Amino acid sequence: MQQAAVISKGVGLPSLPIAEYPGVPMTDGSEAVARKVEALLPQIVTGLAGARDVARTAVAEPGPRDIVARGTLDEIQDLYHDNLWSDGLPVIPPTIDRVERFLAQTRRAPDEVIGRLLPENRAATVWSIAVNGVMAGCRPEYMPVLVSIVQAVAEPIFRVEDAGSTPGWEPLVIVSGPIARRLDLNHGQGVMRVGRQANTSLGRFVRLYLRNVAGLRIPPGAGDKGSIAGSFNVALAEDEDAAAALGWPTFGADQGFTRDDSVVTVQSVVSISPPIYSAGTRALEHARILAEVFGGACSYWSSIGMKYARWEPLLVLGPSIARVIAEDGWSKDDLRRYLHEHVTITARQAETYALQVGATSYTLEAHVKAGVLPAAYATSSDPERTVPVFVQPEKIGILVAGDPGRNQSKGYVNNHIQGGRVSKRV
Amino acid sequence: MANPEPVYDVVWPLAPSAAPAGSLAARSDDLRGKTVGELWDYLFKGEEIFPLIRRALEARYPGIRFVEFETFGSTHGRDEKELAATLPGLLRQQGCDAVISAVGA
Repeated sequence: MQQAAVISKGVGLPSLPIAEYPGVPMTDGSEAVARKVEALLPQIVTGLAGARDVARTAVAEPGPRDIVARGTLDEIQDLYHDNLWSDGLPVIPPTIDRVERFLAQTRRAPDEVIGRLLPENRAATVWSIAVNGVMAGCRPEYMPVLVSIVQAVAEPIFRVEDAGSTPGWEPLVIVSGPIARRLDLNHGQGVMRVGRQANTSLGRFVRLYLRNVAGLRIPPGAGDKGSIAGSFNVALAEDEDAAAALGWPTFGADQGFTRDDSVVTVQSVVSISPPIYSAGTRALEHARILAEVFGGACSYWSSIGMKYARWEPLLVLGPSIARVIAEDGWSKDDLRRYLHEHVTITARQAETYALQVGATSYTLEAHVKAGVLPAAYATSSDPERTVPVFVQPEKIGILVAGDPGRNQSKGYVNNHIQGGRVSKRV
Repeated sequence: MANPEPVYDVVWPLAPSAAPAGSLAARSDDLRGKTVGELWDYLFKGEEIFPLIRRALEARYPGIRFVEFETFGSTHGRDEKELAATLPGLLRQQGCDAVISAVGA
């Protein structure tokens, strides 16, 4: 309900009547549903007939250079926590002097609007990017990357308006090209652990920016309805030298750029696979394990991937594993094709999983008929027929990173069409 | 004597609102004889809930008519932005006086 209020205000209709179903329809039986709908009727009738706009009171908000407070470090922390302007960690106080150091790293004007971020629908100004970059502990030289991150998040295909949905997905920033080295991003052992300033603060920035500018706040705020959700991902970088030594295109090249381009990619991550250890000297030995574990991690959520037929999971291959696969003559596309062909679930599982999420009228056959899924998903009406987990193998991201001294990979499951992969040149 | 603790003059971390100034469509005071459109994101038992709402409102408001959700398709499908763009025309075409839009996250 609070989330609905944030959204209706963001789209300019703060008086939009909302009838709230009390409880959870997915755990109510038919009798309870009927009883609760009956109880809802007065709200529905009021919304349909008689609702009127409530006069709006203009709320003056601070301008970018307005000083909103003066205080000691502790007082500033308390102020930002109390106003829900922080992520719960201490923030660097955003003074004008610090913000200006960030602005000096871009030719863009402070009042330039990079995009508009729903659900709160605020203008993503360069100034606000710098302020939140300061707060997140970024260095001023990260500013061009911060701007590119916000450009990506503001693209309609990213669907930031859905970043507060119940799956509780989190953006993952991937930095490619020369800037990753210049900013000292980790791409090796412990790549996804907090501890390296660039990786950590860039990841923290995204979450802080979504709270403050998109308006995605967990209680006591509103707008973020992630049921259990997760914390921010540190930014990821690729071991591009390792990828290039194998003759594989880098992740940045897969997104349509050259190795000389500095690129930021943002996509959603809704869950992470276990660490995937694979051994052997042949590609097939590794592919089999990757299919079982990465495929297994994706299988449950694939029903939702199938619902929209646009799904972009990401596989982070350890350098030693990528080397075996490449030296056995496999390309990245060969691996994608293997995963597409060998990771399957039954139609019954796909439809059952979708039902649990809330897609109560979902069938694969209906999605084939609607042209969302290819015919392979409805070759018969046998519920035990198997269907590919990955609808579009070309959308499986593959990136080489992690510990070169171990044989471990990891998979990142994205949230179907929410948080679609978007790349921006820095 | 200890050095005084530094103080900081800090700025606002939010950004200017870009929310448009919309207004609610005019409502009728009486639903008798009116046409109500149903929009649904095809989640959370709408196929069960909409018929309950229909029956209850038909019993209270003679002549009320519904344009059922199948007419519009899912508001949370792959092509939802295209649907949203054509929705005002579709609702006019169907003669809708009011809309119930069922959503969940």
